[in-house]
Amino acid sequence: MKKHGLIILSIFIGGAIGTMFRYFINLHFLGVGGVIFPFGTLIENLVGSFLLGALTGYIVAKKLPAFLEKGIGVGFCGGFTTMSTLAADTVFLSSAAISWHVMVYIIASLFGGILLALLGLTLTQAYNKKSLRREGFE
Amino acid sequence: MNLIIVAIGGGLGAVIRYILGIWIKDKTKERAIPTAMLVVNVVGAFGLGYFLSSFYGEIPVNAYDERPFLIIGIGFFGAFTTFSTFSVEAVTLMQKKKWGALTTYVLLSIGGSVLTFLIGFYLGL
Repeated sequence: MKKHGLIILSIFIGGAIGTMFRYFINLHFLGVGGVIFPFGTLIENLVGSFLLGALTGYIVAKKLPAFLEKGIGVGFCGGFTTMSTLAADTVFLSSAAISWHVMVYIIASLFGGILLALLGLTLTQAYNKKSLRREGFE
Repeated sequence: MNLIIVAIGGGLGAVIRYILGIWIKDKTKERAIPTAMLVVNVVGAFGLGYFLSSFYGEIPVNAYDERPFLIIGIGFFGAFTTFSTFSVEAVTLMQKKKWGALTTYVLLSIGGSVLTFLIGFYLGL
């Protein structure tokens, strides 16, 4: 029970920090370049996908304490990225004047997110292999 | 103050996503596509649509000085739903070469979230 409490607390803190970062980035990119395009949400979803991919690859070989793993993965990465705002942005952009923006947004989010998660995963898996080899030789 | 509001909404959203995710995994059988975060995202998109239309009657372009928008929209529903888990689960399906499941999962996640957002939005008007 105590362990669960620590995990929940750590997810709360991670989620709160991730959301604060998302808020700052959104504010920063509001109306950048004079266009209404959700650059902020796009960046958050891409960066967060990379981070969660990297974390997922890392913990395969090296164990992290459960509270840390959940705090970073479920809390921070989960709270930093968002699907509901993506849905709202998509609907908003569909009704906006420049119709191809919505296509760019969806394709960049989707392919970019999956590609960056794969990159994060591959990089940490390669790192794991390298450090395992190093340990083996010594 | 706005920052604290955003943080509390986000922390709560993340914790409830975690608990609901465990509950869904517990209640459902293992499927070809990962169900838990799919359900969470679709439900969260519905909630955001309903909230935005009932509070603002539109999708506000800039409501970053509005506290209900910050705690519920950016904070709670923003953090309750997630994109990073979607990406990683899609990669896992890719690595297992489950192309059919991957296509279904991607279409259901994105299409489903947009659709339930719209349904929520019209119900809240």
